[in-house]
Amino acid sequence: MLKLKKVTKVFNKGTINENVVLRDINLDINDGDFVSIIGSNGAGKSTLLNVIAGVFPVDDGSIILDDQDITRLPEYERAKFIGRVFQDPMMGTAPSMTIEENLSMACCRTITRGLRWGLNEKNRKEFKIKLAELGLGLENRMNTKVELLSGGQRQAITLLIATMVKPKLLLLDEHTAALDPSTVRLINDLTEEIVLQKGITTLMITHNMEYAIKMGNRLIMMDRGQVVLDIKGADKALLTVDELVNMFENAANKKFDDDRIMLGLRN
Amino acid sequence: MNLLFTSIEQGLVFGIMAIGVYITFKVLDFPDLTVDGSFPLGAAVASIMIFNGGNPFLALILSAMAGMIAGYITGLLNTRAKISGLLAGILTMTALYSINLRVMGQANVTLLNTKTIFTYIEALGIPYRWGLILAFVIAAAVVKILLDSFLKTQIGFALRATGNNPDMARSLGVNTDAMKTLGLSMSNGLVALSGGLVAQYQGFADIGMGIGTVVAGLASVIIGEMIIGERSVGLATFSALLGSFIYRLSIGIALRLGFATTDLKLLTTVLVIIALSTPRIRSLLRIASS
Ligand SMILES: Nc1ncnc2c1ncn2[C@@H]1O[C@H](COP(=O)(O)OP(=O)(O)OP(=O)(O)O)[C@@H](O)[C@H]1O
Ligand SMILES: [Mg+2]
Repeated sequence: MLKLKKVTKVFNKGTINENVVLRDINLDINDGDFVSIIGSNGAGKSTLLNVIAGVFPVDDGSIILDDQDITRLPEYERAKFIGRVFQDPMMGTAPSMTIEENLSMACCRTITRGLRWGLNEKNRKEFKIKLAELGLGLENRMNTKVELLSGGQRQAITLLIATMVKPKLLLLDEHTAALDPSTVRLINDLTEEIVLQKGITTLMITHNMEYAIKMGNRLIMMDRGQVVLDIKGADKALLTVDELVNMFENAANKKFDDDRIMLGLRN
Repeated sequence: MNLLFTSIEQGLVFGIMAIGVYITFKVLDFPDLTVDGSFPLGAAVASIMIFNGGNPFLALILSAMAGMIAGYITGLLNTRAKISGLLAGILTMTALYSINLRVMGQANVTLLNTKTIFTYIEALGIPYRWGLILAFVIAAAVVKILLDSFLKTQIGFALRATGNNPDMARSLGVNTDAMKTLGLSMSNGLVALSGGLVAQYQGFADIGMGIGTVVAGLASVIIGEMIIGERSVGLATFSALLGSFIYRLSIGIALRLGFATTDLKLLTTVLVIIALSTPRIRSLLRIASS
């Protein structure tokens, strides 16, 4: 469903700072896959998602989504099929717009915006139900500006916006990294619930090994611009954190040096 | 009493300009200096048309359209040619100086003994002074209501999100470049409309009449926001109008206190500087941070 063919991304090409961040990446993601992506700092994980979302162009290779070559499509057009949640809770919402106004932005990801009212009786009702499902009490604060909400509340809303109209692909870039541990659990539970319930094909970057193993049906490890591990199905289900670290050290032929990695000590 | 009347008239007619400035500075978060050129552009277009016996209402429509084109060009310079917003506005503004002179054919055009919209309104049997106020109230109200409504549509939300969080907007399928260009066109259209009305109101257009438009508009927006705040879009546009009134009233008072007309730009600038450099007010306004 998503195919990356020999995707290469070079920053500062032709300068002394030239940096090959993605090196001939081939990836074949199946419909309904929920993939967790791990790897050390600077491995190119965010760049991979950014390239898929069209934030910047690739230097080589092509990106195919559902048989459509989207390699040259601008970001705002790819947004028709791709939902995103970023690491920074500030990034996914418009702070001085209200909760309901933010949610209403979701509708038009797939359609052309017009001079119809952004909010009406019908979508307000729908938003209220969806917000109530989050269990954060936000359904009674639909007129509150988002800037007054906590990081976790914002991430929950961003997740709702990104998945309200089912995207072909959901890209999560460390979307719980800026949250406190109990909120992390909340947002991860929510993510799992939405993704599984709607069957959304998802790529999720995380530095938490335990969640990486627990969530999703496939695990990819990146190192220096390449995919060094790709574990699926039953293999993934039986994986432990120790095994994963070992596998990484063999595959990448170096010590596991991610200072931000969380080995997922239980509770 | 006369001071009050004058301030209401001016507050409303320049308030349309202030609403234009609100669109770029506040909604789009784009410091647009085109307005110093598009305001006299509107005045030039309207006055030359009226001077030659044209319909003054049609003249206003053409003023607004000319202003929209000016804003559109600034938008293209910024989004296509990738020139910084500030510089793009300065470039258009500078080019407009020559264009405005071409349009007027000379440095000023006087509208004595011509038919302005106020001639038509007076012909309805409304006293001149009330006619002025009536015309301006209607114009400002129409602009405010139309803009408020627009900002509540799907495109309006996209415009606001573009100014508020462009990354988020793009990730939700908004063509932020197109939105910027749209906002700049709307803003400068309103500014030029205001220019066209002002020319008819004061009876002349002058090549130098645009100097300081941005700062005056900004002062109005800031004053209004300090008093009312921007809890909702409707309140924000209203506060721009109210701010414009208070700004003109303060200027009227300053003149009575013996300041020369030529000192006013300095006074206004000092006022804006104080407002922007006071941290509390600054955080309240979230303006000019970029
Ligand atoms: N816009 C950019 N311009 C230049 N270099 C960039 C840019 N974005 C990323 N890089 C570089 O690309 C490399 C990979 O960055 P990337 O953000 O993809 O890593 P990552 O795997 O997401 O790391 P982390 O776990 O720290 O988020 C880094 O060396 C980074 O400095
Ligand atoms: Mg990253």
